[in-house]
Amino acid sequence: MTTNHTNHRTNSSGPPLIQCRRLTKTYKKGDNTITPLQELDLDVPTGDFLALMGPSGSGKTTLLNLIAGIDRPSGGNLIIGGTDISTLSRSKLADWRSVNVGYVFQLYNLVPVLTAYENVELPLLLHSMSAKDRHEKVQTAMQLVGIADRHDHYPRQLSGGQEQRVAIARAIVTDPTIIVGDEPTGDLDQESAQAIMDLMVQLCEDLGKTLIIVTHDAKSAAYAKRTLHLEKGRLIEAAVLAARRAPLVPQEA
Amino acid sequence: MRLLPFAYAVRNLGRSPSRLFLSVAGAAMVVLLILVAGGFVNGMSRALRATGGEHNVILMGAGSEESVERSEIEAGVPGVLAASVAGVRTRAGVAYVSPEVHVMLPVRVGAAARTTTQSSGEQAAAAQGSNTASMSKPKGRQVMMRGVTPTAALVHESVSLTEGRWPVSGADEVLVGRMAATVLGVAEIDVQVGKAVMIDGRPWEVVGRFSAPGTVVEAEVWLPLADLMTATKRETISCVVLTLDPYNEETGEGADFGDIAAFTKTRPDLELVPMTEREYYGKLANFFGPIKIVAWVTAGLIAVGGLFGGLNTMYAAFASRIRELGTLQSIGYRRLAIVWSMIQESTLATAAGGLIACAVGVFMLDGLAVRFSMGAFGLMIDETVIGLGLLTGLALGVVGALPPAIRCLKPTIPVALKAV
Repeated sequence: MTTNHTNHRTNSSGPPLIQCRRLTKTYKKGDNTITPLQELDLDVPTGDFLALMGPSGSGKTTLLNLIAGIDRPSGGNLIIGGTDISTLSRSKLADWRSVNVGYVFQLYNLVPVLTAYENVELPLLLHSMSAKDRHEKVQTAMQLVGIADRHDHYPRQLSGGQEQRVAIARAIVTDPTIIVGDEPTGDLDQESAQAIMDLMVQLCEDLGKTLIIVTHDAKSAAYAKRTLHLEKGRLIEAAVLAARRAPLVPQEA
Repeated sequence: MRLLPFAYAVRNLGRSPSRLFLSVAGAAMVVLLILVAGGFVNGMSRALRATGGEHNVILMGAGSEESVERSEIEAGVPGVLAASVAGVRTRAGVAYVSPEVHVMLPVRVGAAARTTTQSSGEQAAAAQGSNTASMSKPKGRQVMMRGVTPTAALVHESVSLTEGRWPVSGADEVLVGRMAATVLGVAEIDVQVGKAVMIDGRPWEVVGRFSAPGTVVEAEVWLPLADLMTATKRETISCVVLTLDPYNEETGEGADFGDIAAFTKTRPDLELVPMTEREYYGKLANFFGPIKIVAWVTAGLIAVGGLFGGLNTMYAAFASRIRELGTLQSIGYRRLAIVWSMIQESTLATAAGGLIACAVGVFMLDGLAVRFSMGAFGLMIDETVIGLGLLTGLALGVVGALPPAIRCLKPTIPVALKAV
């Protein structure tokens, strides 16, 4: 059973960092209209670590992409840090992303022709700052994720775990408000996945970032402060989920 | 708008050496073709333009203005002109009046000449024998022969003897131009001083060589006027070339073209038509206009073909990294910044090709002799042609990158991020 307009709003005193109101996403596929996200309401406070789970096609990546500003809603409002990003033009949205969002991908998505250092530096080139400041920020980010000794390595010369660390450094280097991760441990072995999740939690706590990840992995989701489940574009009540998970008890005659 | 680092565009070139090679080589071929077409048109125009002397007037037979070869003038006319026309340049008592015969004749040199000589000897020895040898003798190449007197050296200022001496009348001697070997399709060594060329079935000795830089005259063979008239069995000359002293208002000396035109009108019995030498060669240049257009159209069509090839190559290059393009957008780079980087990448490749082509053009093609019906000229790859070639290279880069870049950036970011 799913709920419409489920209230996942927090009770914190200040306004939440992310406010989704009747957030809807539809797109055309041939003659059919697909609705991966349907009138979703959600509040995410600053400093939250939210894990989005659900089966394939449930809309969790769509929600993540909308929050990251790389996709645009078809209906409803998405207010982040007081800005309704659903009303921003394409170029304004790109500028907004460069300031407010760091994205960590499942397959790292590093630029293969740039070194680890240059990959981390890439988002900073969108900001006005001196080369010295830029260098310091890149150094700090790379030290935070533990790859300061891999400056001149190209992605092909790094392990999967190291590549993901570079990707995380790239995501945090601009000091964004929100860090989003789409299956950030999906391509890693268990040990590396655990290390990456430890790192992300630590960064989230130390730097006060709001972290939202999409995952299929319950172990990764267990790191989150909150886990939200989606199904057919809607959030599922925790109680409903618990009922589904409860073992069936045979009734006595 | 913030741009992607230039290093990104440069290093992307190295991702696929084979694609890079195709882009550079394709651009080089197209630019080279543009250089050849430009050099051809330039060279032909300059050769025809430069051939006419600034103060020279050419007098031809009435009704033969289109071609000096068809023109006929009485042999005594040059004497009349020298005596009657005021303002003709004179030095040390010699008037700058050059009677000339212009005629295209087949000329054989080297192996072809030896074969003919040998076969003639065999025929004589065999006396009435088989004429198989003479039937198989190779045909010579048509060369512009100019029968001249020594005053020709005065009238045609661009001509200078570079080797040997002036031919003596009655001794079957000729002068050959610097580009005569090209027209004849033989090596330079075959027309060196001392060698023989076969004209009208008999050998003529090369006694000198001349140059006339940048003009079609360089492709001609000059020989004494009387000898050529005898060889061609003609009693008339083709034209008279005069050099005028520019009219000086203060002294009232000299003459201009109008004076010559007035003279020919007062002497209709001579049946002469005057034309400045520049006008004559200018008309010839117009005659070759369609050839120039064909050269440009051909180059243009091949450039368009090259452009389509470039589009294909660049699309393959960009399409292989659609996910990366999505990532750059997710970081915050605008599409225009990414398109600009792609244009940089493509333009770097085509500019490299253009530079290679220009180097080949300047060091290997510039001055390369090309035959045409008037003789020969050198490809003239000057700054304008080089500039055009480089611009073509750059345009290939920009135009070749835009459609593939726009197409590869068309998917939304989420779709691009899912690309394989």
